[in-house]
Amino acid sequence: MFSMLRRRAVSSVIPLLVVVLGVFFLARLTGDPANLYLPLSATPEMRAEFAARNGFDQPLITQFGDYVAQVAHLDFGESLRTAQPAGEAVLRAFPATLQLAGWTMLLAIVGAVVIGSLAAYRPNSVTDRVASFLSSTAASVPDFWLAIMGVLVFAVTLGWLPTSGTSGAAAWVLPVATLLIRPFGVLVQVVRGAMVSALSAPYVKVARAKGARESRVVFGHALRNAAAPALTVAGDLAVGLVNGAVVVETIFGWPGIGKLMIDSVLQRDFAVLQAAVLLTALVIFALNILVDVCHALLDPRVRQRAAA
Amino acid sequence: MPQTDMSVKATSQKVTSEKVTRRRWPALLLQDRLAFAAALVLVAVAVCAVLGPLLIGDLATRQNLRDPGRPPFSLDHGWAFVLGSDSLGRPVAARLIAAAGTTLSVAVPAVLCSLAVGSVWGMWAGYHGGWRENVSLRIADVILSFPSLLLAVVVLYVFSPSAVGIVLVLAIARIPVYLRTARAESAELRSRLFMDAARTFGTSSWASIRRHVAPTVLPTLLTVAALDFCFVMLTESSLSFLGIGIQPPDVSWGLMVAQGRQELQSAWWIAVFPGLAIVVTTVSATILAAWARLSTDPGQRWRQGLRRAPRRSPGATAQTAVEPNPGSAGSGAGRALPSPAVSSSSPSSSASSASSASSSSPTGTLVVDGLSVDVRTPAGPVAVVRGVSFAVRSGETLALLGESGCGKSMTAHAVAGLLDPAAEVGAGRAWLDGEDVLALGPRARRRLAGPGLSIVFQDALSALNPVLTVGTQLAEPFRIHERMSRRAARAKAVELMERVGIPEARSRAGAYPHQFSGGMRQRLLIAMAVALRPKVLLADEPTTALDVTVQAQIMDLLAELRSEQRMALVLITHDLGLVAEHADRVAVMYAGTVVETGTVADVFSRPHHPYTRGLLGSVPAEQHKGSRLDSIPGSPPDPRSVPTGCAFRTRCPLAREVCATHRPPLAGTGTDRAAACHFGKELADA
Repeated sequence: MFSMLRRRAVSSVIPLLVVVLGVFFLARLTGDPANLYLPLSATPEMRAEFAARNGFDQPLITQFGDYVAQVAHLDFGESLRTAQPAGEAVLRAFPATLQLAGWTMLLAIVGAVVIGSLAAYRPNSVTDRVASFLSSTAASVPDFWLAIMGVLVFAVTLGWLPTSGTSGAAAWVLPVATLLIRPFGVLVQVVRGAMVSALSAPYVKVARAKGARESRVVFGHALRNAAAPALTVAGDLAVGLVNGAVVVETIFGWPGIGKLMIDSVLQRDFAVLQAAVLLTALVIFALNILVDVCHALLDPRVRQRAAA
Repeated sequence: MPQTDMSVKATSQKVTSEKVTRRRWPALLLQDRLAFAAALVLVAVAVCAVLGPLLIGDLATRQNLRDPGRPPFSLDHGWAFVLGSDSLGRPVAARLIAAAGTTLSVAVPAVLCSLAVGSVWGMWAGYHGGWRENVSLRIADVILSFPSLLLAVVVLYVFSPSAVGIVLVLAIARIPVYLRTARAESAELRSRLFMDAARTFGTSSWASIRRHVAPTVLPTLLTVAALDFCFVMLTESSLSFLGIGIQPPDVSWGLMVAQGRQELQSAWWIAVFPGLAIVVTTVSATILAAWARLSTDPGQRWRQGLRRAPRRSPGATAQTAVEPNPGSAGSGAGRALPSPAVSSSSPSSSASSASSASSSSPTGTLVVDGLSVDVRTPAGPVAVVRGVSFAVRSGETLALLGESGCGKSMTAHAVAGLLDPAAEVGAGRAWLDGEDVLALGPRARRRLAGPGLSIVFQDALSALNPVLTVGTQLAEPFRIHERMSRRAARAKAVELMERVGIPEARSRAGAYPHQFSGGMRQRLLIAMAVALRPKVLLADEPTTALDVTVQAQIMDLLAELRSEQRMALVLITHDLGLVAEHADRVAVMYAGTVVETGTVADVFSRPHHPYTRGLLGSVPAEQHKGSRLDSIPGSPPDPRSVPTGCAFRTRCPLAREVCATHRPPLAGTGTDRAAACHFGKELADA
């Protein structure tokens, strides 16, 4: 188990390093970094002073060494807007996004398991066709538009829900619902497919031959086998939630990492953007390991391969 | 030898795929109304994109500040204002059309770029394998492990937003998707023989890829591209909505939604219509992609086209759509025949114990009577089991002997109530202790499954659940039927494992199926089946996957358990040797019916059916040493086109005219034996 974790950690460090390198190169090699860090109206004197202060006049290799050392200490420089450390701003914004994403994934997984299993239980039935059509539609609807329609109907017209903010349960409904729609649609399809093949496996027949109830057959025998592919996709979808979070947080004024990123892009606050991107990459890295651990817990064959 | 129901599926599938390839895709598209509508939508969007500038001129950008915010659905100001106007007085309808052009000018080049680069790269990596494959996959992982919108945000931050920038970012972000797909498919092809042949001829790698790999991989890649089109469109509109994509004065659907958001309270239509445009376009592309996947995958299509057999009604059971001759389709032994047939409701002396079935059947006896099973196919139901009757007493072993595809496994699965959804019982009864198990509801069925009827499957690896410990699986029968506590059931499971000869049962109970050898797995499966001392045990080719020594051990175990528990054992097999050694009685099956029954000693020494004769003649034996082995000419009939009359007549040396018109019933040819042949009596007397 631990050797598997170590191996996975080592192999996922490569993407992480690529992201760190990529941000460095984008910042240094695509022109004067002052263009990135300073507002467009900066005077030449400001630029020169800025370059000297941040070491941009040093050779590239020295700059890279300094940069890596800073990143390792989670020191990403100061925010241009607030003059606070960028890392702190990002860490403050993270919990809001994690809560939003956590609830969303929880609901998406539970819902998809129920709906996907129902659809797979009788392939080509009315339930299956409706679920398949709705889930494939859900996966291709633009979330930003859906969020705005939600605001139009439930906040502007009916006045049931607030348009933005994080206070009270009602404020969570529209953001979670918007963020939910795509992962839910994709997961329903994946669970359905995996369950269709699991339910046609011989061990399901054996379970029925033992006189097991259908609920035991579906949830006790088939679902644990179908869980592995669903889990892989759920991991990818959780990574993709960052995409959705950028949109949803912007629309609902959610004080999370996505809104922070868009704000720093629009206000050209590179230090904060860089911190947000690198920390997000770190979270994705952790998430991938979590998915692997879950795989091992679910499937003894994975555990054995890992131990070997 | 493959399981029978599988081979039936395979043949039906082959037929359908031929049909699918023969019909051209436009015809298929017309057939599926939803996919056709989706295609129309996409064509309309493309027409708008190409002809838009000609149609609307500068209407989309010309401001008209005198009357902004005109509501939709009014033709007073011309067609361009049919969907209202925005805050600057620009008509929404015209802007939608202009935005279609922008959308396609981003999405199409992005998809084409990633498709071209990703698929060539993937095919190359998959074709060569080795480090090229590993490095390519690593790169794909890195790109994919990073949220694409985030990548776009960073890149568009550094290079100021432009249409070209968006195309490049999206193309790069999606290359890994094609790379992975193309790599997987071409790596699969790499191992095929014809690729080796091409390499032997010295064909260069690029020529091989172009000629052999590309045509096979391309259909899959195009389906991926259709789905990807949605993704690219959605990402572009998200970026534009966020203000880092398409910039004004250019028009984009996402940008229009963003503008409409400012005036949501006063002018809802500005945000609603562009969003609808996105939804309709992406949903259409999704539908078309799903359709393309279905129509290129014959297996999937086959499932979709399944037709149910007409509901069974007494007297009409046999007349199914595919049977050319209703008379020959008789499901009961010759129910529709004018000739003196054995009526399924009054078994003659042939099925000896069957005669007593309807009145008072002996305990522990399974009596199957006139059983028919139909498999649904796109061409209609096909009868794969056609009126099978047999009986087995407790403590006795009956062998159901037949070639693969003769319906013997299907018979067992039908009796056990474990048919696939595509198959169903068309007619017949199966009496277990005087109770027709085929007529039972699901609840009563479950009650019998285990203590009444039990089954051992062929492939023990796939018949054991890979993610549960064997202890859990063995304890399940006790937990279900005897409501034992977890601990007590576990103890029983260990006891069972010891009984079937698994060493160190106590510690091994916590192990998983993949940690056992093939023979041990089969023992576990048998243990599970006999856990509740069933009255009847159906063993479906229990030793096929095992080597000869293990085979003998398993058969001995089954024989021990049979006499110990006084079970009736139905041994389903194609192995004549196994039958000769382990069975008391035998029922020989051919083309879905029983053609001969009797004790093994009688049938094997003096077969009364030409098929049994042929079968026994094909076995090497001491007395025929040096002479040529006999074989039956021809091959068993396809279940979809079984010959009229006697199913065996096309291969039978004795066939006469009567064989083509009348189906021979299973009739008595001696004490405790029967054969379904018009000349059975003569063969018996000869």
